Amino acid sequence: MAPIVQCMGLTKTYGRKIALNQIHLNLERSRIIGLLGPNGSGKTTLIKIMNGLLRPTAGDVLINGQRPGIDTKFRISYLPERTYLNPGMKVIEVVQYFQDFYPDFRMDRAYDMLSRLQIQPNERLKNLSKGTKEKVQLILVMSRDADLYILDEPIAGVDPASRDYILHTIVSNYNRNASILLSTHLISDVENILDEVVFIKYGCIVLQAGAEQIRQNEHKSVDRFFREVFAC
Amino acid sequence: MLGKLMKYEWKATWKFMCLANLMILIMTILADITVKLDFFSYQRDNMLQFIAMMVMMTYVLSMFAMVIGVAIFLIYRFYTSTYSDQGYLLHTLPVDKHHIIIAKVLVSALWIIMCEFVMYFSVIVLVAANGELFETLADSMDTIISITISDTASVKGFAVVMSLIAFLFSLFAKLLKVTACISLGQLSANHKLLFSVLYYFGIYIVQKIFSVIYLVFAAAFNRDYYWSEWYGWESMLVSGIIYSVVFYLITWYVMDKKLNLE
Repeated sequence: MAPIVQCMGLTKTYGRKIALNQIHLNLERSRIIGLLGPNGSGKTTLIKIMNGLLRPTAGDVLINGQRPGIDTKFRISYLPERTYLNPGMKVIEVVQYFQDFYPDFRMDRAYDMLSRLQIQPNERLKNLSKGTKEKVQLILVMSRDADLYILDEPIAGVDPASRDYILHTIVSNYNRNASILLSTHLISDVENILDEVVFIKYGCIVLQAGAEQIRQNEHKSVDRFFREVFAC
Repeated sequence: MLGKLMKYEWKATWKFMCLANLMILIMTILADITVKLDFFSYQRDNMLQFIAMMVMMTYVLSMFAMVIGVAIFLIYRFYTSTYSDQGYLLHTLPVDKHHIIIAKVLVSALWIIMCEFVMYFSVIVLVAANGELFETLADSMDTIISITISDTASVKGFAVVMSLIAFLFSLFAKLLKVTACISLGQLSANHKLLFSVLYYFGIYIVQKIFSVIYLVFAAAFNRDYYWSEWYGWESMLVSGIIYSVVFYLITWYVMDKKLNLE
């Protein structure tokens, strides 16, 4: 079976600045993959191109063998690094919104997670704290049975106690045949759930390897290894 | 998916639009009462005259506020839902970009038509409150229609229908001009909104130049035509269709091929 993501010579420039430089990358199915890199390394740019929010300057990206478009959007469940829901909507309304547009959305799963977090369905998003809004977004994204979950900095804006809940939510709710691409620079928090890591620096892939492989070969944690690779 | 997109566009806009229309209806009732009770009469005391003046002034201001407020609201709604943070959700929905544009333009057009109906209704109610003025205006309208449109009933009916269609396309062209300018503004790396405004004025100037060229050619080749015919539904319909198509294609091209969400 073809990889879930194939990047071939993917390049993105903003004027003279090169955000992604000739990226060749294959991501396999049924894996939890960490896209790791410091701020400004090109993680979000790569993710946006996969989701069709940006057009590459050169090269190509295929999701499930197709270029980003309507068909790939049916298969990708994407969590951006910002709040993207209309703040005037109620929680119950955004759940209905996802139900209306995504055939793979599981409403019962969404309400189950919401009740565990004691988030009231009739609460308006603008009345929720930033962390709770992020949790609502994560619940919506993880309530889909997608082929690929792309989570951009899902734990960056929340307190350490909530990070565990979020990671638990991710691991316990995703479709087991799917892959998760998780972008973060908080490696120590996510290290234990990763099957594979991709290091990205200055828009180039500097390493793609199994998390266990790194620990065995380098005799150190992925977090420690990351700090060495990206030492200033 | 078009129906669903329209449903959520409607849901996101109905509160503001209903409040705006409600404001006009309330002001119409107050102004109507003021006119009918003859508060302006010199026989009334100063306080009543002052209240009447304030009511009428508020009525006129509310009309202006509605026109400007609705325009700003619809522009803001398009910008925030399409090219700001909410655009991340909209552009990752498994829907055709054509459907996104059509849903937004159709719902905006429906609201504008509704607002125009409310405003015309409001003015008619007030004019009707003053019987003499109403009769004079009705006579004037009849005269204008008989001059500008042929006396033959079937031709008159055809012209009215075509005028309404021309009005619709003219409205679509105006809405799509805004969506095209906002979309073009997104192509710049910085000051996206400023560039959107600049594009709007740039396109406005180009449109005016085209209008002048059209009038010059119309005058050169059709010397026997009346001015009213040059400004009639025919030119409005043709320009409405052309501009609608051009602005639609610009919006779609940027949204589909050049999307650049920050």
